[in-house]
Amino acid sequence: MPGSRHSRFASLHDVELCGLSATGERRAFGELVRRHGSAVRGVLRRMGAQPTEADDVAQDAFLTAFERIAEFRGEGTFAAWVKKIAARLYLRRLQRDKKLGAMTAEAVEDEPETPRGDADSAIDLEEALKVLGPVERLCVTMCFGAGLSHTEAAEALNLPLGTVKSHVKRGLEKLRTRLAPENGVVLEGRRGNG
Amino acid sequence: MVELDFERRLERLFASSPELADAAAFAERVERRLDAGWTARRWLIGAAGVVGGVIGASQLMLSNVFQRVETAGDSARLLSTSFNHISTGTDWVAAMSSGGAVVWVAAGMAVIMMGFVLTRVIGEI
Repeated sequence: MPGSRHSRFASLHDVELCGLSATGERRAFGELVRRHGSAVRGVLRRMGAQPTEADDVAQDAFLTAFERIAEFRGEGTFAAWVKKIAARLYLRRLQRDKKLGAMTAEAVEDEPETPRGDADSAIDLEEALKVLGPVERLCVTMCFGAGLSHTEAAEALNLPLGTVKSHVKRGLEKLRTRLAPENGVVLEGRRGNG
Repeated sequence: MVELDFERRLERLFASSPELADAAAFAERVERRLDAGWTARRWLIGAAGVVGGVIGASQLMLSNVFQRVETAGDSARLLSTSFNHISTGTDWVAAMSSGGAVVWVAAGMAVIMMGFVLTRVIGEI
């Protein structure tokens, strides 16, 4: 019975579910997807993926995670591990579709305007990220959302480390302006499954 | 210090991802793809087993295996007769000595062992 199977796994910790998944228990892995699917899809959307595209990449990321579950040593959280896989897969897809090169070229030529926050409106992170250029958005989300180091992000993006650092720095400056408390923005995130 | 504080707040914001409305449906899609992959793998292993079995059986046929079994049966019979001469107490050898029973039992055990090994290999994959 699927319901009872799911409830059996619902009480288990992520690490226990990873252990069961490593023995080929697909329902245990399904519980992990149920717990962290939204977070992984959220990171991809924040990186700039369209919802359908984000879902496709997130599915591939979870399938890859299942194949490589034995490599997960539990040093970080399972969600963080899958987010890294998803971020890399998304970048690979951008490279395959030749979108990444265009993005990086665009970033040098065309810097988007940084609009000021509206004091009367509640702006969430998604809205704030829209003020960033595509590469800045990628870099900031990879480092702060997917948990990649600057070096890892540089390798994944195939960009020099210094370039990634400056994209992150510029992105943070824009976000700070946009999310500044004096703009009336509540910095606490919405409730979710993190 | 202010920068570090902002970065921590940003990390918290990124960590607090909203639960999407179709989270359960998404998980089911992933599970379906996992199941489909597993089914395909089992079919592949099964097909490889059938092909291997057919090749093995044809090789056995070509190598006159039945003639060899008969010869082995004769040898086993001879061996058990010798055992009977040495010790009259070993009734089990005598019980097994009718025709090529020893050879067939050994072959059966080998098949069971192969089945066990194959099951373990499939399980490991």
